[in-house]
Amino acid sequence: MAVQARTVSVSEAPGLSRRDIFVTILMLLVGGGILILGAFGTQAGDQATFTDQKLGTLFSLSSQPTLYLMGMACLFMAGMRLYRGFAALRAWFGLALAVLAAFAFLVWMSSGTTLNVPGMIQATLTAATPLTLGAMCGLLCERSGIINIAIEGMMLFGAFAGVAFAAIFDNLWMGLIAASLLGGAMAGVHAVLSIKYKVDQIISGTVINILAVGATRFLNLRVLEPAGLSTPGTFDAIRIPVLADIPIVGPILFENQPTTYIMLILLVVVNYVVFFTPWGLRMRACGEHPRAADTVGVAVNRMRYISVVIGGLIAGVGGAYFSLGQVGTFEDGMTRGQGFVALAAMIFGNWNPFGAFAAALLFGFANALQVKMQILQPVLPIINVPIPPEFLQMAPYILTIIVVAGVVGRVRPPAQEGKPYEKQ
Amino acid sequence: MTEERSAGLAARIAALPLWVRLVALAVLVGVPVLLSKWLVLILLIALGLWPITVLVGLVGLALFSIPRGGWPWMRSWLGARLRDLAIPLLSIFTALVIGALVIMFTDAEVYAALSSGQIVYALRVGIQNVAVAYGALYEGAFGNPSDILEAIGRALGGEGLDPILRAVRGPSDSMVQSVPYIFAGLAVALGFRAGLFNIGAEGQIGIGWIAAVIVGFSFRGLPMIIHLPLAIVVGAIAGGLWAAIAGFLRARTGAHEVITTIMLNYISFRLSEWLLCGPLEFTRGTCRTQEIAESAYLPRFLSHPVTLHWGFVLALAAAVAVGWFLFKTTWGYELRTVGANPNAARYGGMSVTRTWVLAMFLSGCLAGLAGVSQGLGISHNAALGFQAGYGFDAIALALLGKSHPAGVVAAAFIFGVLRAGAARMQSVAGVPTEIVQIIQALVIVFIAAPAIIRAIYRFRERRREDIEAEMAVFSRGWGA
Repeated sequence: MAVQARTVSVSEAPGLSRRDIFVTILMLLVGGGILILGAFGTQAGDQATFTDQKLGTLFSLSSQPTLYLMGMACLFMAGMRLYRGFAALRAWFGLALAVLAAFAFLVWMSSGTTLNVPGMIQATLTAATPLTLGAMCGLLCERSGIINIAIEGMMLFGAFAGVAFAAIFDNLWMGLIAASLLGGAMAGVHAVLSIKYKVDQIISGTVINILAVGATRFLNLRVLEPAGLSTPGTFDAIRIPVLADIPIVGPILFENQPTTYIMLILLVVVNYVVFFTPWGLRMRACGEHPRAADTVGVAVNRMRYISVVIGGLIAGVGGAYFSLGQVGTFEDGMTRGQGFVALAAMIFGNWNPFGAFAAALLFGFANALQVKMQILQPVLPIINVPIPPEFLQMAPYILTIIVVAGVVGRVRPPAQEGKPYEKQ
Repeated sequence: MTEERSAGLAARIAALPLWVRLVALAVLVGVPVLLSKWLVLILLIALGLWPITVLVGLVGLALFSIPRGGWPWMRSWLGARLRDLAIPLLSIFTALVIGALVIMFTDAEVYAALSSGQIVYALRVGIQNVAVAYGALYEGAFGNPSDILEAIGRALGGEGLDPILRAVRGPSDSMVQSVPYIFAGLAVALGFRAGLFNIGAEGQIGIGWIAAVIVGFSFRGLPMIIHLPLAIVVGAIAGGLWAAIAGFLRARTGAHEVITTIMLNYISFRLSEWLLCGPLEFTRGTCRTQEIAESAYLPRFLSHPVTLHWGFVLALAAAVAVGWFLFKTTWGYELRTVGANPNAARYGGMSVTRTWVLAMFLSGCLAGLAGVSQGLGISHNAALGFQAGYGFDAIALALLGKSHPAGVVAAAFIFGVLRAGAARMQSVAGVPTEIVQIIQALVIVFIAAPAIIRAIYRFRERRREDIEAEMAVFSRGWGA
């Protein structure tokens, strides 16, 4: 109660916005939550042990003191926020809070047991793969001025084409290529509808999403399953020799599925092309100020067509991850909204490939954590029930809403996105 | 002219004594309610025998036109209707044709014939398949006309109503399917009018459905007159509050409702999974709630297999209410203004943010009612995977109906027909029901890009202002 009174009285001071108060309360809640986890969720002598498959135990912490310490750190940051100490560091408090919360969660979860750290990081990277690919698709489209909410649909088509063509050619790589091409084709449809026919881009994207759900299900039931073409299998992880033997980093970075390597390569390539080449500059101009771009001789709509289709090709690869990378068969709606999460990652990353990648890692971590928790089934303190898996599965979606709600207004989308361009 | 006449009529009604007006109202409402069974039966037969109904309608129109100048008047009246309907009807027709092609070329036999070079044979098999599939679609949606006529003959011969009930099952199924479509379509349309794209109807339907069912089975022994309205209202409000989250986030933080409603969809799916397979599960392993009390049933008009229920009347009433709200009230005016131009609305002194929250809440209420009507009218419980895509179809539907309540009702009926027919098509012809989703997506494409339809059928371009008159704009970026 005392805390409440303080925030209210401080709110009258100039310069402390509603957002500040919100963040402060959030910090207090997180700090309190961590303390409760420490006090009731762990036993006094418990150790949280972090291991590696090869090196054995990396380090182990006494979970209760660690949690107390981290909880206090959160409360301390909240206090600093109110009294405006550490002005230079305050910008990082949000990030620090997220890291603390995540780490505290890990400590609590693995208290009394062990946690495979590189495995966790690799699961994060794997889960971030389709998100990053989707986010790059969105980024290419939106930087050139076309809103793309059809990433989900393009990925679903990609997932389907991956299975179908991998089975037809009996070659997973053909499936990957086909996935990419079908994603690109769907992006072409989106581009034609929104550029040539000037259909509202949100509606055009929704069409592709609906079509993806219906068409993939239809074709799966009517063509793939009767023809026995629905189980091409999955990609094996490719182990890069020598590099993969580096302890810890090796298995994380150099023993992955091809889609993950493609993602990492594309990340660098897209970043370079969009921000460090003349073509990228022209493309971005089409999204920021198409009239100006047109005046200096850039063919705005052609530029948009190209960007959107390239985006679709990338999203198709992201789709192949779900079918050829994970389960080796096609399931209805198997992208499970990850295309929209990718969109949120793009926004969170401020329309920037590496920013989007960082955001995707965050979402990927939420996902990996969720999977891990379903296995460990930690029991909630005080009320003594395990968290139902359905609630854990909600986590990435809730995180997306929080990100979109909390970040929009602080990031800047391309100025002219969503508006068809008409030559005068 | 007509306005003057109706104004005069209203004045004359107002001049009548109160008791006369009350009695008149009671008669106007009471008689149809008492006769509802027969009215519905006639409606279903008229639907099943729609060519005859259309003929009767034309004859009626001709009689009506005689004092107004005969054929020229009738021709201009029909022409005006046809002009409005040309694009939607041609869109549906074209989508059906493309759907037929998809059915044809995804058939194993056709494919085998094609690859061995027997093109004529392939075409014949393909056309046969399509005929069987679309024939089943028609019969599932409208019933078999000769069966209906025969059943009427037998009923007149004194064999009772049962044969008729069996014969009009198709039309009844179409109407039953169109009930949630009307509600969900109105929900999306209301959002469109406020410039909000509510993709979350699917989740809101589920929330409303579960909430209504919980009220339905929690109270035993309540009289129907309290229990039923209570369940309906709770379901609607639950859907509304769920949607209002997205409205609130949009108003407060600017988070685009397309993303938040979709995320809320996924959250609601997980939530209902947990509820239905967890706390609410009645028999272990079924992922299904217990049956609601009979006092919360939306009553049915006729007996099995005609399942049409009073939710149909509720849906039509909701359409009228939404029309009245949008076009006759201050709030509705504000809502439409905000949808047309938020900046202008803000300058005009309207609270844009409040309107967004309100619009989202009302939209969610309507979507919730779609779930309520299914839960209390058809399934009488809630089971896993129950929403079944009404909310997503509703987007296409609202676009097809141009976000106008009357248009939504008409479009909902078309979708209901497609859905009822698709179920039969799957069982008879083995064509997966998802073909309907493909057809719907194509319909949206053609409605949203009429230039394609005009190009195919070589229409002349309409006047520019006609084209630009309607349709809210949604693609304003994520921060706007």
